[in-house]
Amino acid sequence: MNGAALVLGILLAAGVVVVVALPFLREPQVADDRLDAPTADEERRLTLREERDRALRALRELEFDHRTGKITDEDYRRDLGPLRRAAAGALKRIDDAEPPQE
Amino acid sequence: MADLGRAALAVTLLLCVYALVVGSYAAFSNRRRLATSARNALLCAFGSTLLAAGILASALIRHDFSFVYVAQHTNRTLSTAYSLSAFWGGQEGSLLLWLLVLTGYGALAVVVNRRLLRDLVAWVVPVLAGIATFFAVVLVAVASPFGSQTTPVDGAGLTPSLQNPYMVAHPPMLYLGYVGLSIPFAFAAGAMLSGKTDERWIVATRRWTLAAWMFLGLGQLIGSHWAYVEVGWGGYYAWDPVENAALMPWLAATAFLHSVMVQERKGMLKVWNMVLVALAFELSIFGTFLTRSGIVQSIHSFAQSSIGGWFLGFVVISSLFAVGLILWRLPLLKARTKLESALSREATFLYNNLLLVALCLTILWGVLFPIVTQLFRGETRTIGRPYYDFFLRGFGLPLLLLMGIGPLIAWRRTSWRALLRALAWPIGVAIVAGIALVAAGAGSSKPGLIAYTFSAFVLATIAVELIRGTRVTGSLFVLISRNRRRYGGYVVHAAVVLAAIGIAGSSAFGHTVERRLALGQSMKLDGYTLTNRGVRVTSKANVVETRAILAVTGRWNGTMESGSNQYLNPPEPSQEVAIKTDWWRAQDLYVIADDLNVKTQVIYTKVLVKPLVNLLWIGGVVFLFGSLIALWPDAREQRRLVTRLAPARA
Amino acid sequence: MPTRSPARLIIALSVAAILAVFLVYTALAGDSTPQLTPSQLPGHAGKVSAVGAVVGPLVGDSHTAAGLRFGLKNITGSSSVIPVVYHGDKPPPLFTVGRDVVVSGSYANGKVTGTDILTKCPSKYQASKPTA
Repeated sequence: MNGAALVLGILLAAGVVVVVALPFLREPQVADDRLDAPTADEERRLTLREERDRALRALRELEFDHRTGKITDEDYRRDLGPLRRAAAGALKRIDDAEPPQE
Repeated sequence: MADLGRAALAVTLLLCVYALVVGSYAAFSNRRRLATSARNALLCAFGSTLLAAGILASALIRHDFSFVYVAQHTNRTLSTAYSLSAFWGGQEGSLLLWLLVLTGYGALAVVVNRRLLRDLVAWVVPVLAGIATFFAVVLVAVASPFGSQTTPVDGAGLTPSLQNPYMVAHPPMLYLGYVGLSIPFAFAAGAMLSGKTDERWIVATRRWTLAAWMFLGLGQLIGSHWAYVEVGWGGYYAWDPVENAALMPWLAATAFLHSVMVQERKGMLKVWNMVLVALAFELSIFGTFLTRSGIVQSIHSFAQSSIGGWFLGFVVISSLFAVGLILWRLPLLKARTKLESALSREATFLYNNLLLVALCLTILWGVLFPIVTQLFRGETRTIGRPYYDFFLRGFGLPLLLLMGIGPLIAWRRTSWRALLRALAWPIGVAIVAGIALVAAGAGSSKPGLIAYTFSAFVLATIAVELIRGTRVTGSLFVLISRNRRRYGGYVVHAAVVLAAIGIAGSSAFGHTVERRLALGQSMKLDGYTLTNRGVRVTSKANVVETRAILAVTGRWNGTMESGSNQYLNPPEPSQEVAIKTDWWRAQDLYVIADDLNVKTQVIYTKVLVKPLVNLLWIGGVVFLFGSLIALWPDAREQRRLVTRLAPARA
Repeated sequence: MPTRSPARLIIALSVAAILAVFLVYTALAGDSTPQLTPSQLPGHAGKVSAVGAVVGPLVGDSHTAAGLRFGLKNITGSSSVIPVVYHGDKPPPLFTVGRDVVVSGSYANGKVTGTDILTKCPSKYQASKPTA
């Protein structure tokens, strides 16, 4: 291998070592080295939000399907109540879990 | 420079092993800095692979024949563009391309998702690194693109039939597809390893899967188109094992794209989705194993090499890994809700999945049959075209019908009354179309007639959906942009219908005639008269072209030239067919002239009329368009996702 | 009203239906063709796919009644040369003496009568010899 390629190779190898060791170079001492996983609290709030989004989406789709004629009026009336209650319940659970900001 | 290339690949291997081992340990023992270090190693692996690829590409462009690979696949007269395309023209180079795309995709996927799914990504890194390690090992130890030699005078050159824009695009497009399936697989494995088996991994990888599926589909269409215009037997798909190798993962991925929608809304089919994504990934690796090992006879059969054993081993190990993971996490994969009705959108996705997977497994059985019979009966037996055609119709026609009915059914349940009301217009259209088609003579082929009628039905349902939706939102543009996935999907369905019409037309309603023609003699087919006007030989720089000149009269007036080329460097022949597309009549006139006698001017010609075949290629363009609509980033959806997933830090 | 989820029933019926179609097909029309090398041919009769290397000379024309005549021998190892008579489309341009091919047709009286030739594409992943 010629000289230039060798130098380039060594520089790149050094660069790789630096990048791989970077987390330890940046924070040689650290209080909390645990993975940034969501806490139990965050996890619960996340699940509630997902539940709310699913309920709202189901309501939107019910609405749209009714307006485009895929669902009859009776089916719409029958399904609207439970879905609305599910969405309201999800919203309430979120409010209970995180009090609104002042 | 070859040394630097070898070193770069060795560095890639080391980095991948580091990311695999250290990454697994970091995820297992919950160590943030170590996990970040492993992720950085994966990013650097992309960098060193990019360097190796750059070295090979530069050697190809410079025609540096001290590289064995360059000498084997290019020569001095080869243009720059084709020299570069030789990168993926051979075993070693194509493996390097695979690794480049894999590390590139992997780096991007991990970086994009680093904040949203931190605990999951910590496991995704070692899984991706594991896959990359396999390819790196093969490139370093078994099939290196950086072998050196004393520089010969000239290289061997690239086969003329590969010097074609379609053949340049075909492998990279397929690889973007195959390799792309590794990403959802890695995230699925990461979800199971981290215990986070809810829908987040699906939402995060949704666009990756769609993009990979799109590239895989386009790659196959490009290959089919090349076969049609270049190879020139008059067809575009031969059910060859290597062709099937790309179709099978595509079918599995199609099933997966549909069934994830059920899991996202209903929390059902969790185990099924894990199985599907693993199946799609394993089939993509198995596909490349079939292509490279020479284990089954195929027109694409490459040299039987030991590399097949490596790929088979990797498929077995990764399959065991996936099955083990799923069995271990079965308790976490319980459904959140149940299927409420056999007439619901969840159920139609289930039927669609069953048909797609049945077709996929049927093709797999046909491909494996020679290997299985050899193992168990000591005799290799092959299954022919009729088998594939039968099941393509048996599963494909119901799938076509389902594409029309499914979108008209609501989630949870739909009453028969609502469904029949929604279906009224499309059924009417289909009946009218059917009658018109029979009157036009399409009754000559029952499967063809059924395919046409079902296609009319599906197109009508799509039109009805668009019209009804536009009435609600006021504008078609608003309708589509509010729900890109759904309406992009409908456009893709329309593309599939176009392709189905094209396939049905060209196979069920085509005609063929072959004849030996002396000078001045004519033959007739479907309103065209072709007359032999002689044989002409033209010598050019690198090629001697022999052409039969045919004067065409009747439905079209003009001249067609068909015959063969004999290339000088490398010395190889190729078939050159003549195709005249009659857009008005929506058919191709396809002429294959072989057996050209220059002395006696006698030719043997096979002429085919292929109705509607161009709908297949047009369908490909519509497919691309529909996929792009579905892929289009949605700012509102993104914001919602970010506020949902980004934690409220105290 | 809570009823048993129809999912299991749907899946079971669908799988059964698919298997039924499959079994009916293979029972009625499941014709598979044995794939044999020239040394394995003697003793077989009927439909066959012969895998081998082409032995010259190539005589005749596939479009005539007499057909295109050539020989086929084992790709690896030694074997006797089996005569082949081929009728049909002119073989693809890559077909030549020494190429590995698969001839589909039937075997009888020590001869293969072929109706289809598949020529293996030698280009990808196996380089032709570079000029010195």
